[in-house]
Amino acid sequence: MITHELIERIEGEAVLDFQTDKNGHVEDAAIRFLHFRGMEAILEGRNALDALVIAPRVCGICGHSHLIAAARMIESAYIDAGFSLTISPKAQMIRDITLSCELIQNHIKWLYLVMLHESGKMVGEEPSVALKALYATSQINQLCALFSGQWPHSSYALPGGVTCDPTHIEVMQALKILSDVERFVEDEVLGCSAEAFSTHIRDDALLSLKGDFGTLLRNFERLNLLNSGKSHGRFLVLGENAGVMSEGKRSAADIGSVSEDSSQTFEHGGKTYAKNALYNGEFYEGGPLARSLIHQREEITLLHQRYGDSALTRITARIDEVVTLTAHVRKLLNSLDLSQPSFIPPSSIESISGEGIGIVEAPRGSLIHRARIEKGRIASYSIITPTQWNLGNGTPSNLGIAQRAMIGAESIAKASLIFRTFDVCSVCTTH
Amino acid sequence: MPKISTMPSSPAKLRVIWLQGITCNGNTHSFLNDPSLAYLLDSVEFLHHPLLPCEKTLKELVKKLPKSDILIFEGAYNASFERAGVTMETLVPALAHKTKHIISMGSCASFGGIFKENDPEHISGIVFDKENASGPLRDMRKKVIALSGCPAHPKWLSFVIDMIKMNKPILVDEYRRPKELYGYLVHNGCLRNEYFEWKVDSEHFGTKEGCLFYAQGCQGPFTHGSCNKILWNEVSSKTRAGTPCVGCTEPTFPKRELFSTKTYMSIPAEMPLGVPKRSYLALAGAAKSFHIKRLEERLIDDNA
Repeated sequence: MITHELIERIEGEAVLDFQTDKNGHVEDAAIRFLHFRGMEAILEGRNALDALVIAPRVCGICGHSHLIAAARMIESAYIDAGFSLTISPKAQMIRDITLSCELIQNHIKWLYLVMLHESGKMVGEEPSVALKALYATSQINQLCALFSGQWPHSSYALPGGVTCDPTHIEVMQALKILSDVERFVEDEVLGCSAEAFSTHIRDDALLSLKGDFGTLLRNFERLNLLNSGKSHGRFLVLGENAGVMSEGKRSAADIGSVSEDSSQTFEHGGKTYAKNALYNGEFYEGGPLARSLIHQREEITLLHQRYGDSALTRITARIDEVVTLTAHVRKLLNSLDLSQPSFIPPSSIESISGEGIGIVEAPRGSLIHRARIEKGRIASYSIITPTQWNLGNGTPSNLGIAQRAMIGAESIAKASLIFRTFDVCSVCTTH
Repeated sequence: MPKISTMPSSPAKLRVIWLQGITCNGNTHSFLNDPSLAYLLDSVEFLHHPLLPCEKTLKELVKKLPKSDILIFEGAYNASFERAGVTMETLVPALAHKTKHIISMGSCASFGGIFKENDPEHISGIVFDKENASGPLRDMRKKVIALSGCPAHPKWLSFVIDMIKMNKPILVDEYRRPKELYGYLVHNGCLRNEYFEWKVDSEHFGTKEGCLFYAQGCQGPFTHGSCNKILWNEVSSKTRAGTPCVGCTEPTFPKRELFSTKTYMSIPAEMPLGVPKRSYLALAGAAKSFHIKRLEERLIDDNA
C-alpha cells in the first residue's frame, strides 16, 4: 500500500511516499520536496558582494551559515584570482562565535519545537508551547546580534573580516548571556552538569537524565525506537577539520569527490525538486553525528560503538553538540584580542575574476557555496545544502541516508519520527 | 459589606492563522525571538502556526478554512504555489474573506521581496507588487497592515496585535505600513549620525568611525524603519554593527550593488528622504569646509 504523508512542523514541508506491507511496516519511502525558489538564478548577474545579502535568505533558521559560506566563497575567489587576502584572528573568532550561536539555537528549537512535541504526541503526552526554550534561543540569538547586528539575516561578514568593531562591553554582555544559556542547558535540557552528562553517556545511563532531553529519550524508548533509524554508517564533514568515515575507518575528505545528482527531480521525470548530494557517488550522512565521529569526540564515539548510527546516537550527538559549542563560545569570548583589526580591506571586488568555494559546517551538516566570478560579478552560483546529503532520494539499490533509516519501521508514524531525527529543512533542501 | 465586583473574565483570545507562501521562514524565526512571547500568547491563540503548537495542522486547516481574527501571511505570493496541495489562489482570498485583520509579515508578503526576482511576472506581495497595488488582496487592502522588512521585527508584530486587541486605529502610510513604526528612517538613532552631519565618511568597514552613506552603500537616510529605535534582538542593528542598511523595508528591495554608494559627481545619487539636492549640496559644501578634528580621530584611542 502506498501512503502519501505530509510532514509539517519542519522548516517548510515535505511529502513522504511510504510503501507498507500488510502489517503496516515500511518497505520503501520516497522523500519529496515540492517548493523551489531559484536562489542560484537570483544571485547570478549580481555583484559578488550582493551574495552576502541574498544568500542568507536561503534559510530563516540557518541563514547565518549561508552568509559565512558566501563570504568564504568570495574570499577563496580572491585567492584563486591571485590576490592576497588576510583575515585577523579576531574576525575569524567573531565569525566562529556567531556561527556557533546559530547552531545552538537550531538544536534547541529542534529538541523542543519538533522532537519533544512530535514524540510527545505519539505517547499521548503532547507538551505545551516551550516558552522557556524559546526564551533561551532568543538569548543566544541576542549574543549573536551583539556582533552581527541582528539574527536572522545579518550581512556582517565581508571578504576581509567583519563589519563590527566590538568593545569589551559587548563581550561582557555576551558572557552574561552565555552563562544564562549554559544554565538553561544544564537545568532544563540535561537536568545535570555538562560533566555529569558525559558520565551518563559513559555509564550507559542516558535514560535516567532528568532534563527534557531525558524525556525525549524515554519517549523514544516507549515507542521502541531508540535502536532504530540505522543507515549506511557513512559520514562526511567537509567544513572545519574535514574528513570522511566509512565502515568505521576515517580518512581525509576530498572536495573533488562531491557531486550532485538530479536524476530524481521533476526536470528528469522524478517527483521532487531536491537534488541529491553524493560523495564518490554514494550517500553520506552529515551533521552533528558525523562531526562527533570524525572529530573523535569521546562520548559520542563510545555511544556509536555501542549502538551504531541509531536514533539514540544521532539525537544524542545533536544535544552533545549544544554542550560542546557553548563551551567553545566561552573559550572564544575569553580569548578575543579586541585590539586586532576587524576588517582588512582587500582589493576592490571589480578586480576579481576567479572560482570560489566556501564550505561551512552548518547546523545540519556541510554547506557548500561555489561560484564563478567575472570582474566582480557572479557568472554562476551553485549551493549544496546539508539536507541534500541526509534527505536524498535514492534508488532501491542505492538508498538515501534518511530513506534507509526509515525502511523497516513498524509504522508510518514511527518512520516519520525517525525522519525528523535528521532535523528536516525543506527550504534549504530545494533553495 | 460592600459587594466587590468580580474581575471581568479574561477576554477571548484573538484567533490567529499564520500562513506561509514562498518563504525562507525568516519571519517565523524572527517572531520566535520575541522575549515577551509569553505575554503575547496570553492574548493570542494560533489556529495554525508553522512551528508552534496550534489547534490545526496545515492539512486540517486547508480542509475546512476557519474564520479568524487575524491572518498573518509570510512569504511571497504566487497563484499556483501550493501548501498541503492547495493553491495560494484558493487559500489566500478565502482565508482573507473569513478574517477581520490581515498582516503581511515581511517584505516578500508585502512587496514580493527577494523571491520575486526569480519569476517577476507571477510573484508578488498580497496587496502590492513592488510599488504597484496589484496583489491578490488589493481590493481588501483596507484590512491589511504591512510589516515590511527582511525579516520584520517581532516587536513590530506585537505592536500591531496589541493595537488590534485594544481596538485602536493604526495610522498607515501609502504602503499600509504603521506610521508609528515606519514614520522613522533607519538613519534615525544611528550611532554614526554626527559623522553624517559633518560629512565624514567611513574609511573602510570594520571601524566605529565614519558614516556608511557616502561610500559603503548605506540606505539608512532613505529607508523607512525603526531599526535604530526598536533595536534588533533588543541590543543592536545593522548600522550599529557597522553594516550598511540594505533598504529591506522598501518595495524596491533588493536593489543591486548593496555595498557601495552610487555617486554622481562624487555626491550620493540618492538623497536623504525629502531633501532637495540643492539643499543637500549647500549644506554638504559648508560642512565639508570645516575640519572637525575630533571626528577625524579614532573614537577610542590611547591619547589623553
